[in-house]
Amino acid sequence: MSATNTNYLTNLFRLLAGNRMLRPLVVSYCVTASCNLNCCYCEDYGARRNATNGMAPLSLADAKRLLGIVRKRTDSLIFTGGEPLLYPDLEALVAFARRDLRFNSLTLLSNGTLLPEHMDVLRHLHRLVISLDAVDPQVWDQTIRGAPGTAQAIINTIASTARQGGARVIVHCVLMPETLVQAQAVLAFCIAHGILFSCSPQSVNNWPRYELLVSAEYHAFIARLIALKQSGAPIFGSLPYLRLMMDSQPYPCYPLLAPRVLPDGGLAYPCRPIERSGNAHGGQANLLDAGDWQEAVRRSVELYGSPPLTCGSCYQQCYVEPSLMQARPLGLLREIIAFPSSRHAGIVTYAPG
Amino acid sequence: MAGLTAALHLAERSLRPLVLEADERLGGRLKGGPPVEFEHAGQTWRFGTEHGVHGIWSPYRNLQAMLARHHIRPVLVPAQEEEWVLGLGRWVRRAQMGSAIRDSWVPAPFHYLGLFARPRFWAMLTLPDIFAMFPLLAGLLAALSIDPLVEEQPLTGMTMADFNRGWSPTLVDFFTGLTRNALSAHPQATPASGYVAFLRFYTLLRRDAWAFSYLPTNGGTAIVEPMVDALRALGGEVVTGARVTQLTLAKALPSFERVAGRVTWHQNGEPRSAEAAHVILATDAPATEALLRTSPDTVEQAAKLRLPGGRATAIVRLWFDQAPTGLHAEAGIFTGDFALDNFFWLHRIYDEYIRWGRATGGSAIEAHIYGPAELLAEPDAMLLARAITDVGRAWTELKGHLIHSSLTRNEATHTLLHVGLPEEHLAVTTPWPRLHCCGDWVRDRNPAMFLERACVTGIKAANAVLGELELEPWPLLPHLPPEALARRVEAAMRGVRRAMRPRGKTNS
Repeated sequence: MSATNTNYLTNLFRLLAGNRMLRPLVVSYCVTASCNLNCCYCEDYGARRNATNGMAPLSLADAKRLLGIVRKRTDSLIFTGGEPLLYPDLEALVAFARRDLRFNSLTLLSNGTLLPEHMDVLRHLHRLVISLDAVDPQVWDQTIRGAPGTAQAIINTIASTARQGGARVIVHCVLMPETLVQAQAVLAFCIAHGILFSCSPQSVNNWPRYELLVSAEYHAFIARLIALKQSGAPIFGSLPYLRLMMDSQPYPCYPLLAPRVLPDGGLAYPCRPIERSGNAHGGQANLLDAGDWQEAVRRSVELYGSPPLTCGSCYQQCYVEPSLMQARPLGLLREIIAFPSSRHAGIVTYAPG
Repeated sequence: MAGLTAALHLAERSLRPLVLEADERLGGRLKGGPPVEFEHAGQTWRFGTEHGVHGIWSPYRNLQAMLARHHIRPVLVPAQEEEWVLGLGRWVRRAQMGSAIRDSWVPAPFHYLGLFARPRFWAMLTLPDIFAMFPLLAGLLAALSIDPLVEEQPLTGMTMADFNRGWSPTLVDFFTGLTRNALSAHPQATPASGYVAFLRFYTLLRRDAWAFSYLPTNGGTAIVEPMVDALRALGGEVVTGARVTQLTLAKALPSFERVAGRVTWHQNGEPRSAEAAHVILATDAPATEALLRTSPDTVEQAAKLRLPGGRATAIVRLWFDQAPTGLHAEAGIFTGDFALDNFFWLHRIYDEYIRWGRATGGSAIEAHIYGPAELLAEPDAMLLARAITDVGRAWTELKGHLIHSSLTRNEATHTLLHVGLPEEHLAVTTPWPRLHCCGDWVRDRNPAMFLERACVTGIKAANAVLGELELEPWPLLPHLPPEALARRVEAAMRGVRRAMRPRGKTNS
């Protein structure tokens, strides 16, 4: 049985016992904080923060050591950033993770701009997630604030990568009130190219954007997604998550299921928003210093307290999807039985963001 | 809070609101208080105070959406656990109950059954409590049959005690304790409409309605000051220390066609006045009633008003040089013969207190006293002595470890919400043209309470003004529906209520 599955079952028993010290289902490793795009909605990194984020990435040797520590706790890993392809040794790192550490699920979250120069990395990946919020190059260019022509290049890359086979391609779309019509076009693009489509509402200040929540078009779009998913369309988001997007109900959040590791090897505890807020309830424990996953978690709990319960904040897929799938084993069972994409692409370890 | 909400929404539509605040600090009951300072272990320690610890409950959706829209929503501190402390003389029992309610495996409205999975809860009960389960169930089901706020049902003459009739003393204590967190009053003084509205909004219809978070620091710093900054950035004007003394309605003014009236206030002892195209009263209920009754143009109609009362409260903070052992819950309720009503372990919630706890190994608790009036009338020293004794009874290991104590007395402004008759209870739209009201006491067909009600009525008051100016109103986020089982039981209970209603009678 894979480490992820073992962790899932262990967590079920822990939850039954009222224990929220859960094992990770998937770890997101931000290999670099640098980005080459400036997406208007990005609240974390982005090119405008490159000079100020102050986090140098690890050397390849340290990054490998870090992954060794992660692998002892889970076998599902997401490489993210910033833009992870800006990390100079990414391909070597991903290859190491696949061949030497035998991760069972490796995912790359990328904006797609640098992918044509790094196509070899795909050989080592199980999933490739590319952000795309619009298929109209002009609209997409306005969102990502890249050089002219960037958007069209990304769209072409997505289409060609999907045709190529190998890593499963997933398009992740951030829903904004200004681009809801475009999101529908992205959905159509994905269906036409056999690409899995996933989405999250735009987050403003760790809360779904107000203009979306009061938008009839947004609710109609989510209702359409649910209907399409049920009719077999390649929608990659569980039914509980899609329903949650509809009404933003509180949900039991278990941030330790999808922890973030920051570029310097710091484990963001208990979750990125609380860690980033700088309050006394969150912070970092460096995995390389701790030398062991459990030790880093132990230090974090000692410093910042037990992981929180529902804080009713983020509704992006990253923390929500693993939390919902862990809290609702019957819902997960339904996903696996009724929706092949959820089964094959591993919905329980899907945490884009 | 309600006034700032209204002003912010108007300013976002490019209007230029003027906010007159009687106090020197904005925020009403959300504002911060004067600091407390003392010496300990050779160091000076300084802590902020406030009206009392505030919870941001999961149903506070419009409040959170508004704060997020302005990028001023703080990263909240999720509540972990709440404890029920029952004391009868030397006999003191404690049980963790918050998680049992919100994480219950039994769907609402029967999720309280989750409490029975906790052995410590059983230890609190007596045989009469077990026999009183059926009256308790009947009381809760009765609360499902009616929505006093949305249906505007005053339930005249009924109090919480009527709903609790037949319950055992322990269970009455438990629900009284839960309710007092919000309504700050004892059963005989709690209007049934407010009690039922509280149960429905905070716990009865959804398990997750009882999920809440704390602000990371006092309400003034965390919410009010950022709101004021946002308002000023949008062109709004804020004047503090401006006590409004009179409203003169437009019909008495030459400019009556374009203004609501003239507002007169005192600032630094000097009388000032201004004509206003629209006026929004965002004062608490007692201050609203007083203003309308002293303004000649409104006195006649104001004489008929019966606005919700305000409750005085006392807030005690105690610092100890050690922390209680085996502490699981950061907050809870006291019932039985305690003078205190609820408590919050501040060294588990607020940053400055967490730092204090880490640096000294100490702890700090805030406890609220909601009455009765005779208790609140006691001198400060006596109230503090009672508080110290109560905390020592509940956590005996803290006896003799007190370092410092403070007592804050809040004026009678905490809303004891009830639903009044339309002619007696002001709504957002008042009998006077271009004069609107907002606040957590305002009559409105919305189930929200307290901070969320202040926010919702603030937005509605702003919308009323925007409507008069033919500007686009702000949509409100709907409140979450009941859980499926609660919805069905609610429908059934409404059917029972209809069947039991005497023919021809439209009220409850």
